[in-house]
Amino acid sequence: MDRRLFLKTAATAGAALPIRNTVAASTKETREFVGVLVDTTRCIGCRSCEVACSVANGNFVPDVNSDNALEKIRDTSDKQWTVVNRFKTGKGDVFVKRQCMHCWQPACVAACLVNAMYKTREGPVTWNGDKCMGCRFCMVSCPFDIPKAEYHSWNPRIMKCSMCYERLQAGKKPACVDACPTDTLMFGSKRELMEVARHRVYSHPDKYVHQIYGEHEAGGSGWLYLSSVAFDQIGFRTDLGTTPYPEYTKQFLVSVPLILFGVPALLLGLSELADRKNEVHEDKDKGWTTPGADQ
Amino acid sequence: MEFYTYVNIFETKGLEYLLLLSFLALFILLVRYLSAPKGKRRVPEGKPPRTTN
Amino acid sequence: MNATAVIASEFTRVVKFFWQELKPRGKWLTPFNVISIPVIVVGLIILYFRFVYGLGSVTNLSQEFPWGLWIGFDVVTGVAFAGGSYVITFVVYVMRIEKYHSIVRVTVLNGLLAYIFYAGALVLDLGRPWHIINPIIGNSFGYNSVLFLVSWHFLLYMIAMAVEFSPVVAEWAQLERVRKFLSGLTLAAVIFGITLSILHQSGLGALFLMAKPKIHPLWYSEFIPILFFVSSVYAGLSMIIFEGTISHRVFRNLIGGHDHHRYEEIVLGLAKGAAITMFVYYFFQALIFIHEERWQLITDFWGYWYLVEVLGFVLVPCFMFAYAVRNRSLGLVKVASVMALLGIILNRLNVSVIAFRWYAVNKYYPSWEEIVVTLMVVFTEIWVFRWIVTRMPVFSKA
Repeated sequence: MDRRLFLKTAATAGAALPIRNTVAASTKETREFVGVLVDTTRCIGCRSCEVACSVANGNFVPDVNSDNALEKIRDTSDKQWTVVNRFKTGKGDVFVKRQCMHCWQPACVAACLVNAMYKTREGPVTWNGDKCMGCRFCMVSCPFDIPKAEYHSWNPRIMKCSMCYERLQAGKKPACVDACPTDTLMFGSKRELMEVARHRVYSHPDKYVHQIYGEHEAGGSGWLYLSSVAFDQIGFRTDLGTTPYPEYTKQFLVSVPLILFGVPALLLGLSELADRKNEVHEDKDKGWTTPGADQ
Repeated sequence: MEFYTYVNIFETKGLEYLLLLSFLALFILLVRYLSAPKGKRRVPEGKPPRTTN
Repeated sequence: MNATAVIASEFTRVVKFFWQELKPRGKWLTPFNVISIPVIVVGLIILYFRFVYGLGSVTNLSQEFPWGLWIGFDVVTGVAFAGGSYVITFVVYVMRIEKYHSIVRVTVLNGLLAYIFYAGALVLDLGRPWHIINPIIGNSFGYNSVLFLVSWHFLLYMIAMAVEFSPVVAEWAQLERVRKFLSGLTLAAVIFGITLSILHQSGLGALFLMAKPKIHPLWYSEFIPILFFVSSVYAGLSMIIFEGTISHRVFRNLIGGHDHHRYEEIVLGLAKGAAITMFVYYFFQALIFIHEERWQLITDFWGYWYLVEVLGFVLVPCFMFAYAVRNRSLGLVKVASVMALLGIILNRLNVSVIAFRWYAVNKYYPSWEEIVVTLMVVFTEIWVFRWIVTRMPVFSKA
């Protein structure tokens, strides 16, 4: 190759690189994760969201008027992706909606070995049945215990809230948000939601506890909660820490290639060191050891 | 709720080093115990091993 | 043309030979057969229900306990028990200590079968097992998953062990040139296999790293992978001793004429290795105990349970091994190996099932169907093991 041409190409390539990087960086920031702010002080426990969720996603639709489901604390299940619970607290009854938190760095996604659990660029964590092999490692890993398996099916699905991903793509809000009659649920980007949440806490410092659940929990989540009582009184785990859960496996996964590079070479070297083929002759000459006697 | 307090993640380091030293001492004892002088260990020639199957 | 005729006659010979070898040998009404055949039959019926009506029809798995006996015992514990294979191939092929050469074949065979059956039991537990090829064929690589790593390593390690064992098969089928070729691959397979073993033995522990809030803090630490790896060494050694004891009793006619003194030396050597590894493992536990300031947790039921595991089933068998080596007591070595194995079962089940969600109101207990299927897996493995050792030169050829 002509030397001048080579230099020219190198220079062009070098010049192009930083430009590409800035372009990538700017496009990254324009797509913000979305989420929902749940203000539990506003919820009246009407369970419209439960019904709307099940209708939108083809799940079991509860009979809200007569099933007395609020009498006991329920968990989300393989039949219902969201449930509302009533907690009796010092400040009266508090109703709390429960569903997938849509973590920033979801444990279930890091756990999935087939990418069936998938963190979409928009924020929702979705499940793909064409890939899932049903190992249920996501259920073991999720700090919020959200993924649920259909144990009584020959072809079980992993059931969890998808934040109505298909509705979002059609420009709509999640079904539960649309159904909420009291503005308990507010849909938006996490940045906007955090501003709204902080504003509410600052303007009513006596009404709210000064914590926004989901801001940092398990590394932060798409769904955020405001409450008038401490969060451990209304069914939330407050011992989850602020570390994103995939970080717990990071050290191990980083060491994997190191071991795969290093150990075979080390073992081969050891094996060569321990090779006694040539030693036997020497020992015979000296006449005082036989091979293997030292074992 | 956030608390801004000092957390020392190396609080137990001193104890850990003590444990390490005691481990090394005990480990030497164990290895010496396992490779006791051969004269003591050897079963006398001709005597059958204590346990067989 | 001559060559094709030779190949054809060779082929018919091999086929006839296989057909002959497939026939059962020996007595049918042995106590083992009387117990195992009904268990295997019932197990197969249970598996029919499992695959038609779902896992929930035969297991006690729940939304709170997604992993039960089939993962906690069959896979997590079974793989630790199979660790002897990589330890012994390391000692014999890498360190080149010839003393243990006579037990390499049977150990590798045990390891290979353990992986095929116990890791294979994973398939029974998968909700959608037909998608098991997904992480392998590459349409959906979940690189970020510890389980991705573990499943790949299971697969590759099974291949490595098959290569390590293949010369025996070739010898049995009287294919001398194939045997020579396969023998040449052994060192490479061994080195590859040890590396994979280090990673997936620890990887089984790393599976539980993200279950941090669900595992009792006495069993959870960021060092679970290291603990799993170190304990797999003595689990494997104890399993070789335990399995060797049974083999010596059951297959006496195959091993026959063996020098008992040499056998004793091997067992005592393995016991020595186990004693040292357990000692190190115990101090790892102690170090983590101090590092995580666990003394606050030691005064309730779970604290006592933890002490039972770590003192009663690690430190005690460790000293038993050491005492037995010093006094050349094979009987005590066997007792110690059984205790060490129980300790491994305890540890693996504690992490995966017992101390998993220790706060749960509805604890998980395995259903009788789960236990029968587990026994079925173990018994089927023993059947295959017996079939192979009575036909192939596994024990002989020291």
